[in-house]
Amino acid sequence: MASRIIVVTSGKGGVGKTTTTANLAVALASMGNRVVAIDGDIGLRNLDVIMGLENRIVYTLIDALEGICRLNQTLIRDKRIENLYMIPTAQSKTKDAVTSEQMKGICEDLRNDFDYILVDSPAGIEAGFRNAAAGADEALVVTTPEVSAVRDGDRIIGLLESMDKSPIRLIVNRIRPQMVKKGDMLSVSDVLDVLAIDLIGMVPDDESVVTSSNKGEPLTLSTDSPASRAFKNIASRIAGNDVPFQDLDGLDSNGKGFLGKIKRAFFGRC
Amino acid sequence: MIKLKGMYDSMVRCIISEELEAGDFSKEFSDIREKSQQFLPGAKVVLDFGGRGLSEEIVCRILSEFVWPSMIHVAAWITYDAASQDMLKRSGLPTSEPMPDTRVVEKGNMGALLLHRSLRSGQRVDHYGDVIIAGHVNDGAEVLSAGHVIVLGRLCGLVHAGCEGDENTSVVARSMEAMQVRIGSRIGSLDRGAIWWGKMVIVKVSEGSVLIDYWPVIK
Repeated sequence: MASRIIVVTSGKGGVGKTTTTANLAVALASMGNRVVAIDGDIGLRNLDVIMGLENRIVYTLIDALEGICRLNQTLIRDKRIENLYMIPTAQSKTKDAVTSEQMKGICEDLRNDFDYILVDSPAGIEAGFRNAAAGADEALVVTTPEVSAVRDGDRIIGLLESMDKSPIRLIVNRIRPQMVKKGDMLSVSDVLDVLAIDLIGMVPDDESVVTSSNKGEPLTLSTDSPASRAFKNIASRIAGNDVPFQDLDGLDSNGKGFLGKIKRAFFGRC
Repeated sequence: MIKLKGMYDSMVRCIISEELEAGDFSKEFSDIREKSQQFLPGAKVVLDFGGRGLSEEIVCRILSEFVWPSMIHVAAWITYDAASQDMLKRSGLPTSEPMPDTRVVEKGNMGALLLHRSLRSGQRVDHYGDVIIAGHVNDGAEVLSAGHVIVLGRLCGLVHAGCEGDENTSVVARSMEAMQVRIGSRIGSLDRGAIWWGKMVIVKVSEGSVLIDYWPVIK
């Protein structure tokens, strides 16, 4: 299988990029793939905490780039799951510590050893985002159903398109079906209408995400919460499987408009 | 993936597909140069990149691998990516559609620009004539036109019609969802709760005020 390098990005901060990266990395590795998750958020690293690997860090990505160690010395193996690795970044450096060419080089060096390379991008559209996206073939854009997050997502999609990333697919995170029903929150259909890219998954707002992040145990490791199921489904779709979308609390009781729209978006607008 | 099309005044439009990967630029430009070597030297060429963003590195490569060796005169570098437009302008490179030489063109009276695409946040169209967008203008996108602007989709971003000062211009939108519209030197504001919100409207200036009305106007 050809290795795939995927950047997880959003534009707006706090929408769940790192949580998504961690959960997808675990879910893809659980399916038997060799996976490495790279923390691309230099200076504000969090992936190590969410994956529960912060006490295992010896070398970082920046150390490898500065020649202090070899790239394979930065790889932290997750003992809970076979074939899952993480590369942490430095907390004491800034986004300028790495260039796009260096990130491309790192990703290419890892390509032969892994089936999936997930890069957790920082928020924003500046050098940090561009460096994180530089080495990726494809992109996952994470947004929440909020106007500001959708606008930033739209901006990021425009930039990713101009960087030739393909496919660019959408994850709508933290959906609260009751608020959508009351008309107090954008629906997935509203978000898709604006962003006009293929949907790969929707994740319901779930308290267990907070607990799991604090404990350093990604949901997809063990729990069977709604968010965990959503992340596992997304991982399965990334792997090319045809997984039906969850009906989030019967948002579309007649089985037409809402889910129909999503299916059209995901299965080529048929 | 790179096409040449004839324009007015013997000008040539070089359309660089957005799907073309930047890594393939060298080969594609080399092919075009080879196939068109009989008429390219001395030709005025508009380089049209559509919505593609351009980095300094790509601009340098196009200059050294296409513009200089093929001896063309670049009349304009067209991109809808606002950051790239700013970079090109800073570099002294023309970014607006060139004016035809052979006919008298008044401000705002240049040919219309028809765009078959939606504009995403951060993208910008800047045209010296009328603009028709066959798509949406998303929140955060901008359309600056010396003439009229017609949006056949949702208008959520910023439109400035008559941006050279012409207040006889208008803005037509199939679904009006923008908080502000500019015409000439006037600014009109709109609330989400307004009766026009989401409706098909025309916006124009009348007696110094920006007025909005249903479109088509049925009397």
